[in-house]
Amino acid sequence: MEKSKSIFSIDLVLLLSTIALMLIGVLFIYSSGANSPHPFEEKRFEYIRQIVWMTLGIILLIVFSLADYNILKEMSFYIYIFFMVILLLTLFFGKVVNGSKSWFGFLGFGIQPSEFSKIATILFLARFCHDNRSRLKEIQYFLLALTIILVPMALILRQPDLGTALVFIPVFLVITFLAGARPRHLFFLLLTLSLVIFLTIATAYAVNKGTAEDSIFDLFVDYYLFGIVSLSLLIIGVLGFFGFRKYKVQVFYWITYFSTILLVSFAATFALRFVLKGYQISRLILFLDPSIDPKGDGWNLTQAITAVGSGGFWGKGFLQGTQSQNKFVPMQSTDFIFSIVAEEWGFIGGLIIFGLFSLILLRSLSIMSQVKDKFAIYTIGGILGMFFTHVFVNIGMTMGIMPITGIPLHFLSYGGSSLIAGALAIGIVLNIHQRRFRV
Amino acid sequence: MIKSDEEFDNRGQKITFLGAILFTLVGAYLIFLFSLQVINGSEYKNRATLVSQRTTTIQAKRGEIFDRNADLPLVLNVDSFAISLNPALVPKELLPGVFQKLSAALGIEYAEIEKKVPTSVYSVYQAIEIRSGISLEVVSYIAERIQDFPGVTWESKPIRSYVETGSISHVLGYVGNITQDELQVLYNQGYSLKSILGKSGLEKQYDLFLRGKDGTRFRTVDVKGRNVDSDVRMEIPPELGKDLVLTIDQKIQKLAEKALGPRMGSVVILKPATGEILALVSYPFFDPNKFYTSEANKEFNRLTTDPQYPFLNRAIQSTYPPASTFKIIMSAAILGEKVYDPMTYLLCTGKFELGDRTFKDHVQYGHGPVNLAAALAESCNIYYYTMGQKYLGVDRITEYARKFGLGQATGIDLPNEVEGLVPTPKWKERNLNYPWLGGDTVNISIGQGYLAVTPIQMANVVSMVVNDGKVYRPHLIKEIRNPVTGQAEEEIRPELLYDVQFNDKVLSELRDDMRGVIVHGTAKEVMLQRAVKIAGKTGTGEDGAKGSSNHSWFVAYGPYDDVPNQDKIVVVVQVEKGNEWEWWAPKAADLIFQGVFANQTYEEVVESLHPWYLKDQ
Repeated sequence: MEKSKSIFSIDLVLLLSTIALMLIGVLFIYSSGANSPHPFEEKRFEYIRQIVWMTLGIILLIVFSLADYNILKEMSFYIYIFFMVILLLTLFFGKVVNGSKSWFGFLGFGIQPSEFSKIATILFLARFCHDNRSRLKEIQYFLLALTIILVPMALILRQPDLGTALVFIPVFLVITFLAGARPRHLFFLLLTLSLVIFLTIATAYAVNKGTAEDSIFDLFVDYYLFGIVSLSLLIIGVLGFFGFRKYKVQVFYWITYFSTILLVSFAATFALRFVLKGYQISRLILFLDPSIDPKGDGWNLTQAITAVGSGGFWGKGFLQGTQSQNKFVPMQSTDFIFSIVAEEWGFIGGLIIFGLFSLILLRSLSIMSQVKDKFAIYTIGGILGMFFTHVFVNIGMTMGIMPITGIPLHFLSYGGSSLIAGALAIGIVLNIHQRRFRV
Repeated sequence: MIKSDEEFDNRGQKITFLGAILFTLVGAYLIFLFSLQVINGSEYKNRATLVSQRTTTIQAKRGEIFDRNADLPLVLNVDSFAISLNPALVPKELLPGVFQKLSAALGIEYAEIEKKVPTSVYSVYQAIEIRSGISLEVVSYIAERIQDFPGVTWESKPIRSYVETGSISHVLGYVGNITQDELQVLYNQGYSLKSILGKSGLEKQYDLFLRGKDGTRFRTVDVKGRNVDSDVRMEIPPELGKDLVLTIDQKIQKLAEKALGPRMGSVVILKPATGEILALVSYPFFDPNKFYTSEANKEFNRLTTDPQYPFLNRAIQSTYPPASTFKIIMSAAILGEKVYDPMTYLLCTGKFELGDRTFKDHVQYGHGPVNLAAALAESCNIYYYTMGQKYLGVDRITEYARKFGLGQATGIDLPNEVEGLVPTPKWKERNLNYPWLGGDTVNISIGQGYLAVTPIQMANVVSMVVNDGKVYRPHLIKEIRNPVTGQAEEEIRPELLYDVQFNDKVLSELRDDMRGVIVHGTAKEVMLQRAVKIAGKTGTGEDGAKGSSNHSWFVAYGPYDDVPNQDKIVVVVQVEKGNEWEWWAPKAADLIFQGVFANQTYEEVVESLHPWYLKDQ
């Protein structure tokens, strides 16, 4: 259809919501640095850099919305491989920022490859699911699809950046769900993941409070106990498996199903206690009790929540937030950007942020229901999964209901990589929108 | 439980499902945000204010102290500065250079600065006081070269300046930083860890008046405690400390100080009609101004280890046997109890025998026949031994001693006054585990033995004689003044301490007898001044060997003439044994009376009297 080629067919609501979020971001990055005590402190100029990135992001957004996304579809494997190599190189040559080796510099620029690798993975996973959608119900293909996200997850975990790594899982769940993976496979993954997260946090909390040994969480502390429980689960699983083979009774299948969930999540929980560093574990449980670390991250969290809470309904006014302007909230332009919006613009500000993201969601869902191309549907689904994981985890952290994982809020947080990656993603959605009637 | 695989193959359903989950979560987050910001918002608002508001105290200006004429300031506050260093503002590699320059500018050891700013605080954003008591010149020097002194700041921190030092220091006392122990006791009275308070003397006694009330400045700070600039600053202004006007007459104080000279001892001069103290001298004394310099610790150590105890205010904190001055009380007892006719003569042979003990007079072959007046004038021990042992008895002696205020604090408005001791048989049995013997009564009769009095108590004894049995509480403060208006807010009224009814003529007879001491008695030789007629009593501490180990007392009042009591003064001089024996107390008193009543300075007194005992000097 000729009409779809026209520049006027661009989804204005989607585009303007994105730009509005970016502008609010610039505004509050300015606010967070405006009262820096030292006149030449870098913080004061963060907003100028953000404007540069925003401009670059919007240009790339337009470019990505114009060029045919089929190119991305065809190239997705190579893009994916390219970013996996970059991630690997980052592990060796990356720059350490805030405790994780997540920065990669080339030609004088520094980027966070993990942000872009998410989009590359979404594209490749969508392509894989598109190509194999009839076979995705088979466990082999489901696991193959899982491997696509496990590679970048493992590389990012090595940095280590737990938060960013975890974003891949909702992305995977959404894409494979849309592509028709079996609910029992998805449920298996979801349940296992939830259990791992819950058990890891609960065990760490119990250990911190010194109550682990008298509770069920001793399971992940005591090697002997863990061995016995794992072995019994393994035996139950194996027996169930043979039982199902022999008698073809559904009960045996579900016995194996659930005992495997338990075994995998137990093993992962047990293993995570060795993989995760002490500060990572303590950040995970701080939202349950900030007083565990009253001077470090616990302080940060308490101040951020105080900033949000003290904002009230109308907020304290732009540049008037006492918590923010007096620098009580750390890393405010990046991880805690929502706290300054919520303090200075109050509940209304929160409503605006959620409202704009909801508009993006609404438009994306609408495009998804119009598009004929399955690859396009999966891609938008993956992008939504990525955006909203960031929204819920980041804002949840600011409000004290999510662990501190340090993942940014797209479009608002200070930082070029997440901003440009977000812009690229929106560009792709816009691109799909323009070609939505293509089969 | 799990929907079948086919059910979700419908695309629209899947998208709706995805949308429903995400919108539900958005809704849940908004509800939570609403409860956080709107429902519980005020709680967080309070918390936000709490965390960002700090208070600093604005030190109230401490009250100043004037002498009784309110024209001579004795204690002032002087502008002075405290120099601080904020190490976080200085790059680490530059710090040693800054230390070096500060050390040179402030005149303190490099090591001392290093001790105050240890490596552990190099990145702490906090101004650390390096030294206080810095003059404006030094501050200007630093200010002009501020580029050489990064991170260095200063603030005004007035220090106490004792304009008059010398013997008045014992009266004024000094101030210092509050200690942990003091804070525990005084916390409820509004003192804080940063309080400066009086450590001794009037500074301590009247601290609550002098200190005023510190103000508070509320300021908004950022996370590192730095001030956040804002034009609106809340302040509760400090209340100025009250000024004190003393009863001390600085001219008389100086006169008494010089009259006592460099001899360990004390002088009390007061007005018997009111209890106002005109001079209170104790030697040796200290210079409190040195406590606010870099030499403070050294000076403090020197003073506390000095065997002469310069911190001791001997007029109120040292006790001595009253020696022969006690004979005033003995005479009052003899007259009051009518145990022996004052006109009847008693033969003094120079010896008094009690059992197998012989008590001697200071005149080897005795005074011959003496009556009461002669006994007091000549200070005849034998007469008083006899009266004490044979006619009065220990109970009546101690009763009279207490009547005159011995063994009890006078309640002077200075801290740490001591009570002295009037020994009784019961006291001796309880404390020394030995019965009271006749010899003890003999000893007490001439003011020796266990009897212990302070010079201020002896001043009260004379006051009672002068003032017909009335003694007013000795005090040092005339009025407490508002520092702004200069108006008296509180005038100290004379407070009757004792009002003892004596039989008629007892005290007038006593006054005549004390006049005899001056005219033809023991003091006659050294009384040179003719400015005023005085009456008094000498005392010589005769405990131990003769010679250099005698205390020297002189208690007196003047004028002896029949003038209103208002115009009379009491002078008590006590010179400790251990000074070169020169019987100095009556001489000093003589010089003082001349100075007070001829309105002369010490130098003028010496000029006009040409005392024979100062000839060779």
